[in-house]
Amino acid sequence: MASLIKRIIIFLTISFELIASDLGSYELGHGYKFNSLLTIGSYLSTEYEVAKDERSFTLDDIALLAYGEVMPNLTYLAELEAVKFYKYDFKNGIDETNDAFHIERLYFNYRFSDNLVARIGKQITPIGYWNLEPINVLRDTSSNPYYSKYLFPKFLTGVDFSGYTSDSYQTTYHLFAQKNEDLDETYINIPNEHFFGASLEHELNDEISFGGSIGQFKTNSQETFEYIQLNAKYDDTTFALSSEFMLRNGGLDSQKDENTYGGYLQALYHYTPQHTFVSRYEHFYDKSVINKDQLFLLGYSYRPIFPVSFKMEYQWHELKDQNKFLSSFSVLF
Amino acid sequence: MKVLLLLLFISVSFLQAKNYAVIVRSDAPFEQIKSNDLKNIFLLKRRFIGDQKIIPINLLSNNELRVHFEKNIIKMSRKKLNSFWVKQHFRGISPPTTQASYQSVLKFVTNVQGAVGYVPSSLVNENVKVIYEF
Repeated sequence: MASLIKRIIIFLTISFELIASDLGSYELGHGYKFNSLLTIGSYLSTEYEVAKDERSFTLDDIALLAYGEVMPNLTYLAELEAVKFYKYDFKNGIDETNDAFHIERLYFNYRFSDNLVARIGKQITPIGYWNLEPINVLRDTSSNPYYSKYLFPKFLTGVDFSGYTSDSYQTTYHLFAQKNEDLDETYINIPNEHFFGASLEHELNDEISFGGSIGQFKTNSQETFEYIQLNAKYDDTTFALSSEFMLRNGGLDSQKDENTYGGYLQALYHYTPQHTFVSRYEHFYDKSVINKDQLFLLGYSYRPIFPVSFKMEYQWHELKDQNKFLSSFSVLF
Repeated sequence: MKVLLLLLFISVSFLQAKNYAVIVRSDAPFEQIKSNDLKNIFLLKRRFIGDQKIIPINLLSNNELRVHFEKNIIKMSRKKLNSFWVKQHFRGISPPTTQASYQSVLKFVTNVQGAVGYVPSSLVNENVKVIYEF
Protein backbone atom coordinates (compact mmCIF):
# COMPACT_ATOMS: atom_id res chain seq x y z
CA MET A 1 0.00 0.00 0.00
CA ALA A 2 2.80 2.39 0.91
CA SER A 3 4.58 1.74 -2.38
CA LEU A 4 1.32 2.27 -4.26
CA ILE A 5 0.73 5.64 -2.62
CA LYS A 6 4.34 6.53 -3.36
CA ARG A 7 3.85 5.71 -7.06
CA ILE A 8 0.64 7.75 -7.22
CA ILE A 9 2.41 10.69 -5.65
CA ILE A 10 5.30 10.39 -8.13
CA PHE A 11 2.85 10.25 -11.06
CA LEU A 12 0.86 13.24 -9.85
CA THR A 13 4.02 15.17 -8.99
CA ILE A 14 5.43 14.71 -12.48
CA SER A 15 2.11 15.68 -14.04
CA PHE A 16 1.59 18.78 -11.92
CA GLU A 17 5.24 19.80 -12.21
CA LEU A 18 4.75 19.89 -15.97
CA ILE A 19 1.68 22.05 -15.57
CA ALA A 20 3.12 24.35 -12.96
CA SER A 21 6.50 24.88 -14.53
CA ASP A 22 6.94 27.64 -17.06
CA LEU A 23 7.47 25.33 -20.00
CA GLY A 24 5.83 27.59 -22.53
CA SER A 25 4.31 25.01 -24.84
CA TYR A 26 2.42 23.09 -22.16
CA GLU A 27 -1.34 23.40 -22.09
CA LEU A 28 -3.57 21.13 -20.04
CA GLY A 29 -5.07 18.50 -22.32
CA HIS A 30 -2.50 19.03 -25.06
CA GLY A 31 0.47 17.26 -23.48
CA TYR A 32 3.99 18.58 -23.26
CA LYS A 33 5.68 18.89 -26.63
CA PHE A 34 9.46 18.60 -26.30
CA ASN A 35 9.96 18.66 -30.06
CA SER A 36 8.37 17.11 -33.16
CA LEU A 37 9.76 13.71 -32.12
CA LEU A 38 8.25 13.64 -28.65
CA THR A 39 5.06 14.85 -27.01
CA ILE A 40 4.13 13.26 -23.72
CA GLY A 41 0.79 13.21 -21.98
CA SER A 42 -1.11 11.26 -19.40
CA TYR A 43 -4.59 10.78 -18.04
CA LEU A 44 -6.29 9.43 -15.00
CA SER A 45 -9.79 8.82 -13.74
CA THR A 46 -11.39 8.03 -10.40
CA GLU A 47 -14.81 6.52 -9.91
CA TYR A 48 -17.24 6.17 -7.03
CA GLU A 49 -19.93 3.51 -7.43
CA VAL A 50 -22.97 2.67 -5.35
CA ALA A 51 -24.97 -0.41 -6.36
CA LYS A 52 -27.06 -3.05 -4.62
CA ASP A 53 -24.09 -5.06 -3.37
CA GLU A 54 -21.30 -2.61 -3.86
CA ARG A 55 -20.00 0.70 -2.67
CA SER A 56 -16.50 1.38 -3.90
CA PHE A 57 -13.94 3.96 -4.85
CA THR A 58 -11.61 3.21 -7.77
CA LEU A 59 -8.60 4.95 -9.20
CA ASP A 60 -9.59 3.37 -12.45
CA ASP A 61 -7.25 4.38 -15.25
CA ILE A 62 -3.80 5.79 -14.98
CA ALA A 63 -1.90 6.09 -18.21
CA LEU A 64 1.09 7.63 -19.91
CA LEU A 65 1.31 8.33 -23.61
CA ALA A 66 4.05 9.50 -25.97
CA TYR A 67 3.91 10.30 -29.64
CA GLY A 68 5.73 12.17 -32.36
CA GLU A 69 7.14 12.23 -35.86
CA VAL A 70 10.16 9.98 -36.42
CA MET A 71 10.74 11.24 -39.97
CA PRO A 72 8.55 13.00 -42.52
CA ASN A 73 5.24 11.10 -42.78
CA LEU A 74 6.27 8.47 -40.21
CA THR A 75 4.71 8.91 -36.77
CA TYR A 76 4.28 6.74 -33.69
CA LEU A 77 2.19 6.51 -30.54
CA ALA A 78 2.91 4.52 -27.36
CA GLU A 79 0.56 4.26 -24.39
CA LEU A 80 0.98 2.40 -21.12
CA GLU A 81 -1.95 1.98 -18.80
CA ALA A 82 -2.85 0.45 -15.45
CA VAL A 83 -6.56 -0.31 -15.05
CA LYS A 84 -8.14 -0.44 -11.58
CA PHE A 85 -4.92 0.97 -10.18
CA TYR A 86 -6.47 1.14 -6.72
CA LYS A 87 -9.89 0.04 -5.50
CA TYR A 88 -11.43 0.34 -2.05
CA ASP A 89 -14.54 -1.65 -1.21
CA PHE A 90 -16.40 0.26 1.52
CA LYS A 91 -18.82 -2.58 2.31
CA ASN A 92 -16.12 -5.11 3.09
CA GLY A 93 -13.31 -2.73 4.02
CA ILE A 94 -11.02 -4.34 1.46
CA ASP A 95 -8.64 -2.61 -0.90
CA GLU A 96 -7.02 -3.97 -4.07
CA THR A 97 -4.18 -2.59 -6.10
CA ASN A 98 -2.92 -3.15 -9.61
CA ASP A 99 0.15 -1.12 -10.39
CA ALA A 100 1.17 -3.20 -13.41
CA PHE A 101 1.30 -1.05 -16.51
CA HIS A 102 0.49 -2.75 -19.79
CA ILE A 103 0.73 -1.71 -23.42
CA GLU A 104 -2.58 -0.13 -24.34
CA ARG A 105 -1.44 1.13 -27.73
CA LEU A 106 1.82 0.92 -29.65
CA TYR A 107 1.86 1.69 -33.34
CA PHE A 108 3.52 3.42 -36.26
CA ASN A 109 1.70 5.38 -38.98
CA TYR A 110 3.06 5.99 -42.44
CA ARG A 111 1.18 8.60 -44.45
CA PHE A 112 1.57 7.92 -48.18
CA SER A 113 -1.04 10.55 -49.01
CA ASP A 114 -4.30 11.88 -47.59
CA ASN A 115 -5.97 8.90 -49.24
CA LEU A 116 -3.70 6.24 -47.77
CA VAL A 117 -2.29 5.96 -44.26
CA ALA A 118 -0.89 2.64 -43.06
CA ARG A 119 -0.90 1.93 -39.33
CA ILE A 120 0.82 -1.11 -37.89
CA GLY A 121 0.83 -2.26 -34.26
CA LYS A 122 -1.60 -2.38 -31.36
CA GLN A 123 -4.33 0.20 -31.92
CA ILE A 124 -7.93 1.04 -31.14
CA THR A 125 -10.28 -0.78 -33.51
CA PRO A 126 -11.74 1.85 -35.87
CA ILE A 127 -15.43 1.22 -35.28
CA GLY A 128 -18.02 3.94 -34.66
CA TYR A 129 -17.64 6.84 -32.23
CA TRP A 130 -17.50 5.45 -28.72
CA ASN A 131 -14.64 3.06 -29.30
CA LEU A 132 -12.42 5.81 -30.71
CA GLU A 133 -12.71 8.01 -27.62
CA PRO A 134 -12.92 5.40 -24.88
CA ILE A 135 -11.29 7.16 -21.93
CA ASN A 136 -13.36 8.66 -19.15
CA VAL A 137 -12.34 12.29 -19.66
CA LEU A 138 -13.40 12.30 -23.33
CA ARG A 139 -16.76 10.67 -22.66
CA ASP A 140 -19.94 12.33 -21.44
CA THR A 141 -20.78 9.61 -18.92
CA SER A 142 -18.74 7.70 -16.36
CA SER A 143 -20.00 4.40 -17.73
CA ASN A 144 -19.51 2.76 -21.10
CA PRO A 145 -22.50 1.25 -22.90
CA TYR A 146 -22.81 -2.52 -23.16
CA TYR A 147 -22.44 -2.06 -26.92
CA SER A 148 -18.83 -0.97 -26.50
CA LYS A 149 -17.81 -3.70 -24.06
CA TYR A 150 -19.01 -7.09 -25.24
CA LEU A 151 -19.66 -7.14 -28.97
CA PHE A 152 -16.31 -6.67 -30.72
CA PRO A 153 -12.58 -6.54 -29.84
CA LYS A 154 -11.83 -2.99 -28.74
CA PHE A 155 -8.20 -3.31 -29.81
CA LEU A 156 -6.48 -4.66 -32.85
CA THR A 157 -2.87 -5.83 -33.19
CA GLY A 158 -2.32 -5.72 -36.90
CA VAL A 159 -2.51 -3.36 -39.81
CA ASP A 160 -5.06 -0.69 -40.69
CA PHE A 161 -5.19 1.17 -44.00
CA SER A 162 -7.21 4.35 -43.88
CA GLY A 163 -7.73 7.65 -45.66
CA TYR A 164 -10.15 10.03 -47.28
CA THR A 165 -12.00 8.71 -50.29
CA SER A 166 -12.11 12.00 -52.22
CA ASP A 167 -10.94 15.62 -52.29
CA SER A 168 -14.03 16.67 -50.38
CA TYR A 169 -12.45 15.20 -47.20
CA GLN A 170 -15.87 14.13 -46.00
CA THR A 171 -15.63 10.36 -46.20
CA THR A 172 -13.00 8.22 -44.49
CA TYR A 173 -12.45 4.51 -44.87
CA HIS A 174 -10.64 1.87 -42.81
CA LEU A 175 -9.58 -1.61 -43.88
CA PHE A 176 -7.96 -3.57 -41.07
CA ALA A 177 -6.59 -7.02 -40.43
CA GLN A 178 -5.09 -9.06 -37.61
CA LYS A 179 -3.72 -12.57 -38.07
CA ASN A 180 -1.54 -12.94 -34.99
CA GLU A 181 -1.66 -12.78 -31.20
CA ASP A 182 -2.56 -9.55 -29.47
CA LEU A 183 0.50 -7.56 -28.45
CA ASP A 184 -0.63 -7.40 -24.83
CA GLU A 185 -3.82 -9.25 -23.94
CA THR A 186 -4.14 -7.91 -20.42
CA TYR A 187 -6.83 -5.33 -21.06
CA ILE A 188 -8.31 -6.80 -24.23
CA ASN A 189 -12.02 -7.48 -23.90
CA ILE A 190 -12.06 -10.25 -26.54
CA PRO A 191 -8.60 -11.83 -27.11
CA ASN A 192 -8.27 -13.13 -30.66
CA GLU A 193 -5.80 -14.03 -33.39
CA HIS A 194 -8.05 -13.39 -36.37
CA PHE A 195 -9.83 -10.12 -37.01
CA PHE A 196 -10.73 -8.55 -40.35
CA GLY A 197 -12.96 -5.57 -40.92
CA ALA A 198 -13.85 -2.44 -42.83
CA SER A 199 -15.57 0.80 -41.92
CA LEU A 200 -16.78 3.98 -43.59
CA GLU A 201 -17.57 7.32 -41.97
CA HIS A 202 -19.18 10.28 -43.74
CA GLU A 203 -19.36 13.85 -42.43
CA LEU A 204 -22.34 15.39 -44.17
CA ASN A 205 -21.53 18.79 -42.63
CA ASP A 206 -20.17 20.16 -39.34
CA GLU A 207 -23.25 18.87 -37.49
CA ILE A 208 -24.19 15.53 -39.04
CA SER A 209 -22.14 12.39 -39.59
CA PHE A 210 -22.92 8.72 -40.08
CA GLY A 211 -21.13 5.51 -40.87
CA GLY A 212 -20.95 1.77 -40.57
CA SER A 213 -18.66 -1.23 -40.23
CA ILE A 214 -18.52 -4.91 -41.07
CA GLY A 215 -16.08 -7.52 -39.85
CA GLN A 216 -15.25 -10.99 -38.68
CA PHE A 217 -13.17 -12.21 -35.73
CA LYS A 218 -12.29 -15.53 -34.16
CA THR A 219 -11.77 -15.69 -30.41
CA ASN A 220 -8.99 -17.66 -28.75
CA SER A 221 -11.63 -20.27 -27.87
CA GLN A 222 -12.17 -20.73 -31.65
CA GLU A 223 -15.60 -19.08 -31.80
CA THR A 224 -16.08 -17.16 -35.05
CA PHE A 225 -18.30 -14.09 -35.19
CA GLU A 226 -19.41 -11.73 -37.94
CA TYR A 227 -20.86 -8.30 -37.29
CA ILE A 228 -22.48 -5.35 -38.96
CA GLN A 229 -22.53 -1.96 -37.23
CA LEU A 230 -24.16 1.42 -37.89
CA ASN A 231 -23.65 4.82 -36.26
CA ALA A 232 -25.03 8.34 -36.66
CA LYS A 233 -24.51 11.64 -34.86
CA TYR A 234 -25.98 15.14 -34.79
CA ASP A 235 -24.12 17.83 -32.86
CA ASP A 236 -24.90 21.55 -33.02
CA THR A 237 -22.73 22.36 -29.94
CA THR A 238 -25.84 22.98 -27.78
CA PHE A 239 -27.65 19.75 -28.45
CA ALA A 240 -26.18 16.43 -29.54
CA LEU A 241 -27.75 13.13 -30.41
CA SER A 242 -25.71 10.00 -31.15
CA SER A 243 -26.53 6.38 -31.72
CA GLU A 244 -24.67 3.17 -32.48
CA PHE A 245 -25.96 -0.31 -33.08
CA MET A 246 -24.30 -3.64 -33.78
CA LEU A 247 -25.71 -6.99 -34.85
CA ARG A 248 -23.45 -10.01 -34.44
CA ASN A 249 -23.92 -13.64 -35.32
CA GLY A 250 -21.85 -16.79 -34.90
CA GLY A 251 -20.31 -18.25 -31.78
CA LEU A 252 -20.56 -21.76 -30.48
CA ASP A 253 -22.72 -24.23 -32.42
CA SER A 254 -25.45 -23.99 -29.81
CA GLN A 255 -25.61 -20.22 -30.21
CA LYS A 256 -25.17 -19.82 -33.95
CA ASP A 257 -28.84 -19.42 -34.71
CA GLU A 258 -29.24 -16.67 -32.16
CA ASN A 259 -28.00 -13.18 -32.92
CA THR A 260 -26.37 -10.95 -30.37
CA TYR A 261 -27.16 -7.27 -30.65
CA GLY A 262 -26.66 -4.07 -28.76
CA GLY A 263 -26.97 -0.37 -29.20
CA TYR A 264 -27.56 2.95 -27.56
CA LEU A 265 -29.20 6.30 -28.20
CA GLN A 266 -27.65 9.18 -26.29
CA ALA A 267 -28.82 12.78 -26.01
CA LEU A 268 -26.75 15.66 -24.66
CA TYR A 269 -27.81 19.15 -23.75
CA HIS A 270 -24.98 21.62 -23.14
CA TYR A 271 -26.64 24.16 -20.86
CA THR A 272 -23.32 26.01 -21.08
CA PRO A 273 -20.00 24.68 -22.38
CA GLN A 274 -19.23 23.67 -18.77
CA HIS A 275 -22.56 22.13 -17.74
CA THR A 276 -24.00 19.21 -19.68
CA PHE A 277 -27.02 17.03 -19.07
CA VAL A 278 -27.04 13.58 -20.60
CA SER A 279 -29.51 10.76 -21.06
CA ARG A 280 -28.97 7.38 -22.69
CA TYR A 281 -31.07 4.40 -23.56
CA GLU A 282 -29.35 1.06 -24.13
CA HIS A 283 -30.56 -2.28 -25.32
CA PHE A 284 -28.41 -5.40 -25.22
CA TYR A 285 -28.96 -9.08 -25.85
CA ASP A 286 -26.26 -11.75 -25.72
CA LYS A 287 -27.06 -15.31 -24.82
CA SER A 288 -23.47 -16.03 -23.82
CA VAL A 289 -22.82 -13.11 -21.45
CA ILE A 290 -25.63 -11.51 -19.51
CA ASN A 291 -28.80 -12.53 -21.30
CA LYS A 292 -30.74 -9.36 -21.86
CA ASP A 293 -30.81 -5.92 -20.36
CA GLN A 294 -32.19 -2.50 -21.12
CA LEU A 295 -31.17 0.55 -19.24
CA PHE A 296 -31.96 4.21 -19.04
CA LEU A 297 -29.44 6.64 -17.70
CA LEU A 298 -29.59 10.25 -16.57
CA GLY A 299 -26.42 12.14 -15.89
CA TYR A 300 -24.69 15.43 -15.46
CA SER A 301 -21.20 16.51 -16.40
CA TYR A 302 -19.21 19.53 -15.31
CA ARG A 303 -16.10 20.59 -17.19
CA PRO A 304 -14.46 23.74 -15.82
CA ILE A 305 -12.19 23.30 -18.82
CA PHE A 306 -12.54 20.55 -21.40
CA PRO A 307 -9.72 18.24 -20.22
CA VAL A 308 -11.08 18.17 -16.64
CA SER A 309 -14.36 16.37 -16.07
CA PHE A 310 -16.63 15.73 -13.09
CA LYS A 311 -19.54 13.43 -13.87
CA MET A 312 -22.41 11.72 -12.11
CA GLU A 313 -25.16 9.44 -13.37
CA TYR A 314 -27.87 7.07 -12.25
CA GLN A 315 -28.74 3.94 -14.23
CA TRP A 316 -32.11 2.18 -14.15
CA HIS A 317 -31.78 -1.38 -15.46
CA GLU A 318 -34.35 -3.88 -16.61
CA LEU A 319 -32.31 -6.26 -14.45
CA LYS A 320 -33.34 -4.59 -11.18
CA ASP A 321 -30.29 -5.52 -9.13
CA GLN A 322 -28.07 -3.73 -11.64
CA ASN A 323 -29.33 -0.22 -10.82
CA LYS A 324 -26.44 1.96 -9.78
CA PHE A 325 -25.08 5.43 -9.09
CA LEU A 326 -21.74 6.39 -10.57
CA SER A 327 -19.63 9.49 -10.25
CA SER A 328 -16.18 10.18 -11.57
CA PHE A 329 -13.40 12.68 -11.87
CA SER A 330 -10.96 12.57 -14.76
CA VAL A 331 -8.17 14.63 -16.25
CA LEU A 332 -6.19 14.50 -19.47
CA PHE A 333 -2.78 16.08 -18.96
CA MET B 1 -28.69 60.68 -55.83
CA LYS B 2 -25.38 59.94 -57.56
CA VAL B 3 -23.50 60.97 -54.45
CA LEU B 4 -25.68 58.68 -52.36
CA LEU B 5 -25.03 55.75 -54.70
CA LEU B 6 -21.31 56.51 -54.67
CA LEU B 7 -21.28 56.56 -50.87
CA LEU B 8 -23.20 53.29 -50.81
CA PHE B 9 -20.71 51.71 -53.24
CA ILE B 10 -17.76 52.91 -51.17
CA SER B 11 -19.38 51.61 -47.97
CA VAL B 12 -20.08 48.18 -49.45
CA SER B 13 -16.54 48.01 -50.89
CA PHE B 14 -15.13 48.94 -47.51
CA LEU B 15 -17.21 46.30 -45.75
CA GLN B 16 -16.11 43.67 -48.24
CA ALA B 17 -12.43 44.61 -48.09
CA LYS B 18 -10.16 41.65 -47.68
CA ASN B 19 -7.44 42.74 -45.32
CA TYR B 20 -5.70 39.44 -44.69
CA ALA B 21 -3.88 36.98 -46.91
CA VAL B 22 -3.12 33.30 -46.68
CA ILE B 23 0.36 32.85 -48.09
CA VAL B 24 2.76 30.20 -49.34
CA ARG B 25 6.27 30.42 -50.75
CA SER B 26 6.33 32.12 -54.16
CA ASP B 27 7.47 28.92 -55.93
CA ALA B 28 4.89 26.66 -54.25
CA PRO B 29 3.34 24.27 -56.78
CA PHE B 30 -0.23 25.38 -56.18
CA GLU B 31 -2.33 28.52 -56.61
CA GLN B 32 -5.72 29.55 -55.21
CA ILE B 33 -7.51 27.28 -52.74
CA LYS B 34 -10.96 27.33 -51.15
CA SER B 35 -11.78 28.26 -47.57
CA ASN B 36 -12.92 24.71 -46.84
CA ASP B 37 -9.50 23.44 -47.97
CA LEU B 38 -7.90 25.86 -45.52
CA LYS B 39 -10.14 24.59 -42.74
CA ASN B 40 -9.08 21.01 -43.51
CA ILE B 41 -5.42 22.05 -43.63
CA PHE B 42 -5.49 23.86 -40.28
CA LEU B 43 -7.43 21.01 -38.63
CA LEU B 44 -4.74 18.65 -40.00
CA LYS B 45 -7.25 16.60 -41.93
CA ARG B 46 -5.56 17.56 -45.19
CA ARG B 47 -1.78 17.12 -45.16
CA PHE B 48 -0.98 17.29 -48.88
CA ILE B 49 -1.76 19.43 -51.90
CA GLY B 50 -0.78 17.25 -54.83
CA ASP B 51 2.53 15.73 -53.80
CA GLN B 52 3.48 18.67 -51.62
CA LYS B 53 3.28 18.11 -47.88
CA ILE B 54 1.58 21.08 -46.19
CA ILE B 55 2.74 22.65 -42.92
CA PRO B 56 0.14 25.05 -41.49
CA ILE B 57 1.48 27.86 -39.31
CA ASN B 58 -0.71 29.51 -36.70
CA LEU B 59 -0.21 32.73 -34.82
CA LEU B 60 -0.26 32.61 -31.00
CA SER B 61 -3.65 31.89 -29.51
CA ASN B 62 -4.19 35.42 -28.17
CA ASN B 63 -3.45 37.09 -31.53
CA GLU B 64 -6.46 38.99 -32.91
CA LEU B 65 -5.82 37.82 -36.48
CA ARG B 66 -5.80 34.20 -35.33
CA VAL B 67 -9.14 34.75 -33.59
CA HIS B 68 -10.46 36.31 -36.82
CA PHE B 69 -9.08 33.38 -38.86
CA GLU B 70 -10.67 30.80 -36.57
CA LYS B 71 -14.02 32.56 -36.68
CA ASN B 72 -14.13 33.11 -40.45
CA ILE B 73 -12.17 30.20 -41.92
CA ILE B 74 -12.19 27.40 -39.35
CA LYS B 75 -15.69 28.45 -38.27
CA MET B 76 -15.33 26.97 -34.81
CA SER B 77 -15.51 28.66 -31.42
CA ARG B 78 -12.35 28.68 -29.32
CA LYS B 79 -13.93 26.24 -26.83
CA LYS B 80 -14.96 23.82 -29.55
CA LEU B 81 -11.57 24.07 -31.17
CA ASN B 82 -9.88 23.40 -27.86
CA SER B 83 -11.99 20.28 -27.25
CA PHE B 84 -11.14 19.16 -30.79
CA TRP B 85 -7.38 19.41 -30.08
CA VAL B 86 -7.73 17.70 -26.69
CA LYS B 87 -9.31 14.74 -28.49
CA GLN B 88 -6.57 14.85 -31.13
CA HIS B 89 -3.94 14.75 -28.35
CA PHE B 90 -5.35 11.38 -27.25
CA ARG B 91 -5.02 10.27 -30.91
CA GLY B 92 -1.40 11.39 -31.06
CA ILE B 93 -1.87 14.56 -33.07
CA SER B 94 -0.56 17.97 -32.00
CA PRO B 95 -2.03 21.28 -33.22
CA PRO B 96 -0.19 23.25 -35.92
CA THR B 97 3.07 25.00 -35.02
CA THR B 98 2.75 28.61 -33.91
CA GLN B 99 4.83 31.69 -34.65
CA ALA B 100 4.89 34.73 -32.41
CA SER B 101 4.72 37.51 -35.02
CA TYR B 102 3.68 38.29 -38.57
CA GLN B 103 7.33 38.71 -39.51
CA SER B 104 8.20 35.26 -38.20
CA VAL B 105 5.27 33.77 -40.15
CA LEU B 106 6.58 35.47 -43.32
CA LYS B 107 10.09 34.20 -42.62
CA PHE B 108 8.90 30.63 -41.94
CA VAL B 109 6.75 30.55 -45.08
CA THR B 110 9.60 31.97 -47.17
CA ASN B 111 12.08 29.39 -45.89
CA VAL B 112 9.98 26.24 -45.73
CA GLN B 113 8.42 24.73 -48.83
CA GLY B 114 4.83 23.68 -48.07
CA ALA B 115 4.35 26.11 -45.18
CA VAL B 116 0.99 27.92 -45.16
CA GLY B 117 0.44 30.99 -42.98
CA TYR B 118 -1.75 34.07 -42.75
CA VAL B 119 -0.74 37.71 -42.34
CA PRO B 120 -2.18 41.17 -42.98
CA SER B 121 -2.27 41.74 -46.76
CA SER B 122 -0.13 44.86 -46.36
CA LEU B 123 2.84 42.68 -45.37
CA VAL B 124 2.79 40.44 -48.44
CA ASN B 125 6.12 40.62 -50.31
CA GLU B 126 7.74 39.12 -53.42
CA ASN B 127 8.95 36.00 -51.57
CA VAL B 128 5.42 34.72 -50.98
CA LYS B 129 2.24 34.39 -52.97
CA VAL B 130 -1.34 34.77 -51.86
CA ILE B 131 -3.57 31.71 -52.20
CA TYR B 132 -6.60 33.07 -50.35
CA GLU B 133 -7.82 36.41 -49.04
CA PHE B 134 -10.30 37.09 -46.27
